[in-house]
Amino acid sequence: MAWGGSDPGCPLLRRLPDQTSGRRTTPAAGAPQFEGLMEIDRADGRTPNQLRPLSCSRGVLHRAHGSASWSQGNTQILAAAYGPKAGTKKNENPERASFEVIWKPKSGQIGKQEEEYEMILKRTIQSICVLTVNPNTTTSVIVQVVHDDGALLPCAINAACAALVDAGIPLKHLAVSICCSLVEPGIVMLDPTKLEEEKMKAFTYLVFPNSSHSVLNKGSAQSENNDETEQGLITSVTHGIMSVDDYLQCLERGRAATTKLSDFLRRNLQPQLPSNT
Amino acid sequence: MEQRLGNTWRMTVNERKFIESALLSGLRIDGRDPYDYRTLSVKFGSEDGSAEVHLGQTRVLAYVTSQLVQPYRDRPNEGTLSVYTEFSPMADPSFEPGRPGETAVELGRVIDRGLRESMAIDTESLCILSGKLVWAIRIDLHIVDHGGNLIDAANVAALAALLTFRRPECTVGGENGEEVVIHPPEAREPLPLTIHHLPIAVTFALFDDEGTLVIDPTHLEEAVMGGRMTATLNTNGDVCAIQKAGGVAVPPSVIRHCLRIAATKAGDMTSKIKEAVDAYNRDRALQKIKRHPFPASVNARLAGTHMGEKQKKSEPPIHKGDGLKQMAVGISSHITKDRECKMQSTRGNSHIDGISNSFVGTPSSWDPYSKGVDTELLKLSLASQASSKPSEKQEEVQPDTRSFEAKPQAVPEETKEPSRAIQPARSHTQSKGERTLLDAVKPKNKRKKKASTMDGR
Repeated sequence: MAWGGSDPGCPLLRRLPDQTSGRRTTPAAGAPQFEGLMEIDRADGRTPNQLRPLSCSRGVLHRAHGSASWSQGNTQILAAAYGPKAGTKKNENPERASFEVIWKPKSGQIGKQEEEYEMILKRTIQSICVLTVNPNTTTSVIVQVVHDDGALLPCAINAACAALVDAGIPLKHLAVSICCSLVEPGIVMLDPTKLEEEKMKAFTYLVFPNSSHSVLNKGSAQSENNDETEQGLITSVTHGIMSVDDYLQCLERGRAATTKLSDFLRRNLQPQLPSNT
Repeated sequence: MEQRLGNTWRMTVNERKFIESALLSGLRIDGRDPYDYRTLSVKFGSEDGSAEVHLGQTRVLAYVTSQLVQPYRDRPNEGTLSVYTEFSPMADPSFEPGRPGETAVELGRVIDRGLRESMAIDTESLCILSGKLVWAIRIDLHIVDHGGNLIDAANVAALAALLTFRRPECTVGGENGEEVVIHPPEAREPLPLTIHHLPIAVTFALFDDEGTLVIDPTHLEEAVMGGRMTATLNTNGDVCAIQKAGGVAVPPSVIRHCLRIAATKAGDMTSKIKEAVDAYNRDRALQKIKRHPFPASVNARLAGTHMGEKQKKSEPPIHKGDGLKQMAVGISSHITKDRECKMQSTRGNSHIDGISNSFVGTPSSWDPYSKGVDTELLKLSLASQASSKPSEKQEEVQPDTRSFEAKPQAVPEETKEPSRAIQPARSHTQSKGERTLLDAVKPKNKRKKKASTMDGR
């Protein structure tokens, strides 16, 4: 079942087509950039820097105050936001707005994985929203997984952000999220599918603020994992082992990809006026 | 009007009085007749056994999964069926996360009773090894939008998902007959469930004891109603379940009247569900033809709807190396049935040309005269599929084109395929391919005959 008959270690890498298949060559450490090279062979024919097709629809639900359905390739997430409700939970700061995230998997019990996703989403949302406008309120964001085909958390963050926009919750900026995976040390691939993710050495979910329309040197970001010069990194979750250089390369790639995502988001969210209840 | 503060939606006295007095004159607030259903639409997801139902504003997702488990001790020969309902907090501000509330439990129970006790699903066919291994079917229902009448919508969703669900085929073998081998979908075609009849739930909202009732209440009507009755019937006229839990008391004549109405409605719903499922199965069968020679499930999912864009461009030049790649393309464009998604590709366009240079697919030992034909057949059938109107293309066929790249050539073969009953034995495609190649050098009419004899085997 291998593509090109290569060994199961990394079926995505193969020799260029003018040679017979079979052996895979390990690229030297510090491999050259592969914008133009076709060394990476993804099952659906994308290049390493290519994202799956995106689609986003807002206002899909009638009862929720804001809702959005976001899909990247086959991964599809439905997110809904219910506007500020009075009161906060006990351990939340009543001088700020607080958020509550509920993650609903496709089937099965809610376990630790879902709770972790909820926590990450909640912290990400907290850093993009203006918390001082509605103090002592709770806004709920509910995420339902419709189909999982890789890059689930980034898709959910994008969907949740779109749902918040649809609900009219005041935001500082949008959150744009992407998954970068490490095929081999030195080779980074964007937006893996589920099967690709399983074969990766490591992958990371990154969330950046969206790029601003006017090009400025300094971005507007607050950051939890800070330090980037232009645009701050809001959230980063990694799985697997990667070297520091590889991680930084992932960040670069991710940030470059977010400009495209931001454009898509801007085009999608802008012309539609929010529908009345 | 709904307040912006989540849980505090209350119906105002004005709204309540308005709805009640309108009903006395037989008027409903959304303009329907008292016995009219809202528009029902059934959509299917990319996997088998996932369905989404819109009934007016109500939206329900259903997923069916299966697992091998030990059977219950008192029923060693039967598989099990379980229904799980999730009232997602996104559906209604008053739904709380966590344990299902009483309405959720009631909904699950009503649907479960309709399916289980009426033997709608043949559980004996789910038994693999008596007393040891049976299939457990699990239905997960997610209510994502509460526009009223959740029971009916959830029931339709569960039925649609069950009708399109496919379980893996397994064979029992080994020395003592106890070894069970589960075949992956690429090896053997997964099997549908045996469903004898479709129990359709019809919900009535009762307003007073004089028999004012409406079918398919919206959530506003539900907030006003005095009681509810759900009757689950099938098209044979059998009553599978009736649920009336408290609420306003109505005389038996009203109940009989309800059952009569429910019988007609059940017929309507059944035909709508069957239509949607048939359309889905047809699409699925078409893609099965092309999907065959390789790890189809892998390619199909990975390619996603991305390639739909590719097809919108003028057909790129097809060379052999492309064939498999493009085939994966065609598969995926038919997998996502969910038409809500708008197709927008961000970077797809500029990279499509890059794709044509890379080669994906089995043949390292690729030989144009042995396996190449599969590629050709599939690629050409893909190309005809790309226009998504194979029947139209058939008229444009030029009988003389023989070259491998000619698209119209494949059309008569391809259109032959769907017209046959789709045989599960796809493993014969290889040999079929070889015959097709040999036939390719024969005149076209003979080839058509050969195609028919081949399929007949």
